[in-house]
Amino acid sequence: MYLQLKQLTKNFGSNNVVHNLNLDVNQGELVCILGPSGCGKTTTLKMIGGFLSPSSGSIILESIDITSYPPNQRPTATVFQSYALFPHMNVIKNVVYGLKFKGISKKEALYQGEKMLEMVGLEQYRNQEIAQLSGGEQQRVALARALVMNPKVLLLDEPLSNLDAKLRIKMRKEIKDLQTYLDITMLYVTHDQEEALSISDRIVVMNNGEIAQIGPAKEIYQYPQNHFVADFIGRVNIVKKQNGEERFVRPEHVNIIENSGDARGKIIQKQFMGSFTTYFLNINETIIQADILSRDDKEWQLGEEVSVSFFESAL
Amino acid sequence: MLKNGNKDFITKVFGVSRRDTPIYAIFEKVIYIVVIGGVLIFTLWPIVAVLLKSIFNNGSLDFSSYKQLFTQNRELLLNSLFVAVLTTFFALVLGLSIALYVTHSNLKGKKIVFAILLLTMISPPFVSSLSYIMLFGRRGLIIYKLLGLKLNPYGWHGIVLMQSISHASLAALLIIGVLRGIDKSIEASSLDLGASSFKTLMKVTIPMAKPGIIAAALIVFVKSLSDFGTPIIIGGGFSVLATEAYLNVIGLYNLSKASAMSTLLLLPALIVFFVYRRVMSKSQFFTSKTVQSGDSSLKLPGWLKIILASITWSFLIFEILKYSTIFWGAFAKTWGVNYSFSLIHVKNLNYVKLESFLRSLKYSFIAGFVGSIIGLFLSYILERKKIPGSRVLDFVATLPFMIPGTFFGIGYILAFHNKPLALTGTAFIVVVNCIYRQLPLGTKTGAAVLSQLNPDIESSAKDLGASEFHVFKDIVLPSLKPAFLLSFINTFTSTMTTIGAIIFLISPGSKVATVEMFDAIKNGDIGIGAVFANLIIISVLIINISFAWFILKKKNSTFFVGRGKTNVSAIETIN
Repeated sequence: MYLQLKQLTKNFGSNNVVHNLNLDVNQGELVCILGPSGCGKTTTLKMIGGFLSPSSGSIILESIDITSYPPNQRPTATVFQSYALFPHMNVIKNVVYGLKFKGISKKEALYQGEKMLEMVGLEQYRNQEIAQLSGGEQQRVALARALVMNPKVLLLDEPLSNLDAKLRIKMRKEIKDLQTYLDITMLYVTHDQEEALSISDRIVVMNNGEIAQIGPAKEIYQYPQNHFVADFIGRVNIVKKQNGEERFVRPEHVNIIENSGDARGKIIQKQFMGSFTTYFLNINETIIQADILSRDDKEWQLGEEVSVSFFESAL
Repeated sequence: MLKNGNKDFITKVFGVSRRDTPIYAIFEKVIYIVVIGGVLIFTLWPIVAVLLKSIFNNGSLDFSSYKQLFTQNRELLLNSLFVAVLTTFFALVLGLSIALYVTHSNLKGKKIVFAILLLTMISPPFVSSLSYIMLFGRRGLIIYKLLGLKLNPYGWHGIVLMQSISHASLAALLIIGVLRGIDKSIEASSLDLGASSFKTLMKVTIPMAKPGIIAAALIVFVKSLSDFGTPIIIGGGFSVLATEAYLNVIGLYNLSKASAMSTLLLLPALIVFFVYRRVMSKSQFFTSKTVQSGDSSLKLPGWLKIILASITWSFLIFEILKYSTIFWGAFAKTWGVNYSFSLIHVKNLNYVKLESFLRSLKYSFIAGFVGSIIGLFLSYILERKKIPGSRVLDFVATLPFMIPGTFFGIGYILAFHNKPLALTGTAFIVVVNCIYRQLPLGTKTGAAVLSQLNPDIESSAKDLGASEFHVFKDIVLPSLKPAFLLSFINTFTSTMTTIGAIIFLISPGSKVATVEMFDAIKNGDIGIGAVFANLIIISVLIINISFAWFILKKKNSTFFVGRGKTNVSAIETIN
């Protein structure tokens, strides 16, 4: 196993922020740690980066226990949420800053730095001051600065949270492309489920300092193992079966038909979302959401009495 | 099997630790010892020395000095409180009026108002007293020459008047600082909800400015209590505790009594200091959220505007009159008798007196330079290195910020009179006194800049392989550069204009400019006093303007961040 977290625990006083966390990460894998704020995801990342020391447990990278190494001796590199670029240095100086501590000559460092800037598409910004860059460009500098160190694990702490919605989608694709191209191991902390679903090989869903579920995006979405995961990722309808068992049904797995179905109810609200419309149905005093693709000819009206059917796979 | 990672492996692979030389560890230790040791010896020990002196006499506990204070010198105590309360009240009324007028009107000459307020902040003490004598004294220009009256201007009313005017600028600047920090949309929403502009002012604006108003009141109160010079110059027969403490050292050399008197003055100062810190930490004084700050668009009712405008303009006219008088005084043949132009006072500036001025410049440069470096190191230790006892260290280092100058001066006489620290009478101890008295300026400036510096930036340098030493050298030092410049200007200015503490440490042969000025005014030598006042004002002005120009030209963004946070705290300590 490439990177292993064993029984990782962090307490701040009596506050147990991360609790007995076990995680194995393969080389070249992109793992997202996803969870609401305060779930311990950033704390976990900081422990791996060496900025916080765990209360107990160990961090093992390529069979070496690095738990007690200070950050400057760890082969990890971090992209901070705030980017943490050095405000008094220009772009290229920021990028090559870490190379001098590797004993790399200035000339070689500049060469590597420029190559990395090219890779993130910033070669023409080489001599710009940091304050002159836009948020997205700063993000790329931070990425280049971390990547040029050739880290064994790249840690990203909510790297896109300071960007606007459109740029976020563009940048996450670029990050994924870079990761695939360089075949680098990434741990990516985010609270944005769409981000996690779209780029990760595996997702670690965290809640209250513990892992709620680990698995590939599709598995997490389709087969949430518990109430928390079902509720946190995407939208979900909780349907009680006749035997009292609860099932999680995604809105796109609900269909509306005129007659005969699994249950009957009344449409109480509808929201046009562009590619689909979400209908809210009152079925025996429970609200069920149904996403119906807009290209369907039939448009249901408010107040209409209809039947719903659940797709087989959902149940 | 786990290879428990050893240093050799790391060094080979990442090439890091060989840069983590032991030299840095030694360097760091030396800095700690110098900075922390300095605060203990040059700030804490003098304070302790005064407290001990006030209760020990010939080696045994003796509270007679205090008993005397509450019996024989009761009147002095009451006088001090009387003057301080009145001064605080008037300075606050003036300051609040000016602040409201500046922030709540579309006054064209705002820059001029600020220029004059700042000019009063960088003026040496007693310029007000000096101009008071020149204008309203027995042979004063207005009273005697223009109105032909023969009034006795000396007494408590003169003290209160001059102190109120001197401290009104400080109060105004502090309150303006708070008013400008208030989110403008809060006033707007009060108006939107139907409150009149007067109601909004009384129920929203002023309550929100309360931390600034309280801070201003506390500082003015303490400054008035510890001012010994104004009562000497214009008090006539009216004396206060601070003046008597001064006379007990200079004239009578009764250090026990002077210590007891200063300690009594220290108590209110300490209480004020604690309250001040509480008020400041609770208030939103230093929040840096992106609010719509700046001058308000609230339209004041006409009558109020007229009142505020007339107060502000009277104040400004008086200030302009004051500075013109001082300027004129340096070139008038004999003030009060012959107002014709003459260079006699400038010519009278013989070698000895000129040397005093140069000495002032020299001391101020050294204090500004060394004090800023120590202050910034201290702020780094306090802000970033979580050492045990850092709160106590911070408290001790900040004490000179509030304790009366006389107290600190007497402390130095007592603390550095005997071996192994027999330093009194040396230039060294005068400079050291200035450094540690103004140290809070450097520490506060550094702390303000460091608190703005995202700790992630230091973390990321470490992440990229930098050792502690490199983090400090490559990241922290460059960020502190603007703080250093700012701290230097502030410490330089304060040292050029200070008198309270160093007046006790100066030997007759090595006076500084403020002491020369004070002595000249005391002796009724108005011409020389005015020349010195001008010399100090002009030199401080030149340094301030050239530094401001130098810094503004560089357009360093960090500077503005630091400046926004510190100008209030910097102004507070200038005395």
